[in-house]
Amino acid sequence: GDSALGLGLDEEVKVAKKRQPVAKLDEGRADEQASLLSQPGIPKLRHTAKHKLKFKGKGHEFKDAARLLNFYQLWLDDLFPRAKFADGLTMIEKLGHSKRIQAMRREWIDEEKPRLFDSSG
Amino acid sequence: GHDVQVVDPDVRNCVYGLVTALGGFNGENADQYVLGDDALACLRDIKRWLKLYDEKNNRMDVARCLGEANLINGDLLPILSLWWASGQNSKHMTRIALACLELLVPLTWPVEFHSQMTVNHHRHTPYIQQTQVQYKRGILRSGGLNLLRAVIRISLPSMATPRSERGTRDEGILKLMLYLLRNIAIISPNTRLAAEGDEEETSRSATINAFHEQDAFALLLTMCSNVGEDFNLQDIPLMETLFHTVKGVNVEKLFMDDEQRTAKRTDELSDLLKKESLVRREYAKNAPTRHGRFGTMIWVKRDDAKVSTVSGQGVLRDDQTTLQKMDESKKWNKPRPRRRQEDVVQNNNFNMPAHLNSEATKNLRTFVEEFLDSGFNPLFTHVRKAIEREAERVVPINHRQFFYTVGWFLEAERVRRARQLRHRTAQNGGRTKDIEPDSYGLVAGVLNQETFISLNRAMQSSLDNKEWEDLNAQMRCFTQILLTVQEMALSPLEEDQEIAENIQNRIFYEETTHDRILTIVRGYKDQGFGYLDACTELAHVFLRMLERYSKDNVDMQIRSRRKARKRQKKAAQVAEQEGEDVDEERDSEDEDMEEAAQVTKERSFDFKRFSAKFCNQSCVDTFIAFTGFYRELNSEQLKRAHRYFYRIAFKQEMTVLLFRVDIISLFYRMIKGPGSMDPNKSVFKEWEELVRQVIRRLVKKLDQRPALVTELLFSKINSTVYYLEYGHEKQTISTY
Repeated sequence: GDSALGLGLDEEVKVAKKRQPVAKLDEGRADEQASLLSQPGIPKLRHTAKHKLKFKGKGHEFKDAARLLNFYQLWLDDLFPRAKFADGLTMIEKLGHSKRIQAMRREWIDEEKPRLFDSSG
Repeated sequence: GHDVQVVDPDVRNCVYGLVTALGGFNGENADQYVLGDDALACLRDIKRWLKLYDEKNNRMDVARCLGEANLINGDLLPILSLWWASGQNSKHMTRIALACLELLVPLTWPVEFHSQMTVNHHRHTPYIQQTQVQYKRGILRSGGLNLLRAVIRISLPSMATPRSERGTRDEGILKLMLYLLRNIAIISPNTRLAAEGDEEETSRSATINAFHEQDAFALLLTMCSNVGEDFNLQDIPLMETLFHTVKGVNVEKLFMDDEQRTAKRTDELSDLLKKESLVRREYAKNAPTRHGRFGTMIWVKRDDAKVSTVSGQGVLRDDQTTLQKMDESKKWNKPRPRRRQEDVVQNNNFNMPAHLNSEATKNLRTFVEEFLDSGFNPLFTHVRKAIEREAERVVPINHRQFFYTVGWFLEAERVRRARQLRHRTAQNGGRTKDIEPDSYGLVAGVLNQETFISLNRAMQSSLDNKEWEDLNAQMRCFTQILLTVQEMALSPLEEDQEIAENIQNRIFYEETTHDRILTIVRGYKDQGFGYLDACTELAHVFLRMLERYSKDNVDMQIRSRRKARKRQKKAAQVAEQEGEDVDEERDSEDEDMEEAAQVTKERSFDFKRFSAKFCNQSCVDTFIAFTGFYRELNSEQLKRAHRYFYRIAFKQEMTVLLFRVDIISLFYRMIKGPGSMDPNKSVFKEWEELVRQVIRRLVKKLDQRPALVTELLFSKINSTVYYLEYGHEKQTISTY
């Protein structure tokens, strides 16, 4: 009967359920899942490439290309399972235009440039 | 559907009343159309309705009522037929015939979807488009009557009058007649509506054949070749009619002999069958060998002891199929930005190929050859002047039509010459020496400085204003001019060679032209396939011609214009590194010049440096977008893309630009599938070799520079491209 006071105390408070945010592929912080700079992102790519990516060389060009493409596809599938290969590549390429990623890219390249007393590894 | 009143009932009543009063078939002889007592007044009233109700209020109600009342096919055509059969000497009947023509033109006037449509327009446009096709069908085959011929006959007296004595009424009649022809050429069955099975009767072929049989082509020829003297004001509708007749027609096919065409068609058929069997074979390769519920499932072992499951027996075969299947089973698609549709393109779309039957091909070819012989120069010179003068009769769309039509006919002339040469050589028993060569005088009207200037200006303004379809037409025109000049340079006539030399010098003299082509190629985003085709072709032809020309003319000079300030800053920089640019310092006295002022000077041209400008990520992306259509491209187009990538990889030594996963993936797919190119084509071999070389270099590079593993994901930054390719920094650039 008190509800007649019009205070609306009895009315059920509606809590709008927030939609689960959809994971996005971004440059991101190191602790996030689907981000380029996190552990499953480029660091992993660089690491596994060193151990896993082996080519046969001359005469096996197309096999090598297939191996390379598969390597990237599996990596991308781990990083961001939602996207198809081609879509994922487009998204990453786009991220590559950001200042931060560009700076990182330059760093990665500089790492391998020959320097005194420095074995980058 | 009269339950919903789409038109004011009073308007409908009035219009129906007028149509009924016009006349009918209800006399003693049911086959005989009987004119109403006040037919002429009725016709004039209907015209008034169209003008004062529809036009003034920007509505389409009257036009719709007239369509529903079947005015054209039920009344106007029978009346014209009456005039043709027995009324040509009667002044009254001729007046009535003219009044009919005055209604035919506005009722067949093309309607399109555009941005300023009212609700009323949206309601009526589809209906009117549909009825216009009915009109066209009626006009093209109205019983035994040659309606087009009758219309031409109506205007003959006005045509015969010399221009000086022609009154506004005569000019008006000529205009009506030409616009009717143009409207007929434009109207085409709406591809978005369900087919009714008789599209053939209103197709382009039917139009061309009717134009041929009823002497509309002869009329067009006469008028085009006399456009300068007798038909000054008719140039634009003439050009429009030509545009709508030839748009989308494949010139190569048009000029094939019957045997060639039959052979080509058989080829096409067998090509298609081959293609189909290729598709089937490919399917069969991966098709399940057991029934659909056989239920195979495999694990793909991943890193970190993870596994993915993939089902289907196909995946047992190899890794490639498995990974492909994994990818295909993903449901999410990256949302793509929708392309903005350009206004008013439907009727003026020249990117859509038009197919002609063999009779129409023959008729159109005859017309095209006669037009090239007599009408090309007078018409296009005249239209160009009208456009430059901004004459009142010129509307913006005419610019686009002009450039496209000029380009089309230039191509037609080239193909015709090639064909003639073949024929004569065959007749002469293989000796080419005794053949009297023709000069290029027939198309000289567009190979002059005035045309180049207006083309250049138009291209620049289309580029600046992002009018892509206009630019598309202009690029096609420019490409055809270049190709024509190139063939002129090879002509055995010395005079032709000299002229060609001259033209090339003029075209290549301006640095702005070079830069514009570069900007166009770099600027491709989402302008559609037709544009992509045109811009890659232009770049291809331009680069090749320029390469040859600058090789033959080692000390070629070009005129470059730069902003004064910019240049000085640069000069100061460059002067430190390059001692050779001493003359740059001379500009320093202009230091006080305003920023907008331009410095113009001549300098020698270096092809290598110029072609290096095409060597960047955005140009590569454009050509990659083009190559992405590889399954629909013909060998000429595939060759064009091949040459470009060859230039990038092996002439400019910039393979790095191709080292991106999506590019490698596209290249791989083109050769190894799924959906690879046809391996039996010669182009396939060239591509296979190119891709092989690119991959070989990539593998080598990956060994030398492990950083490429990450760089493969991205477009390269300018500052690192050089290092990635050569392994050291560019010496000339001071980075700090």
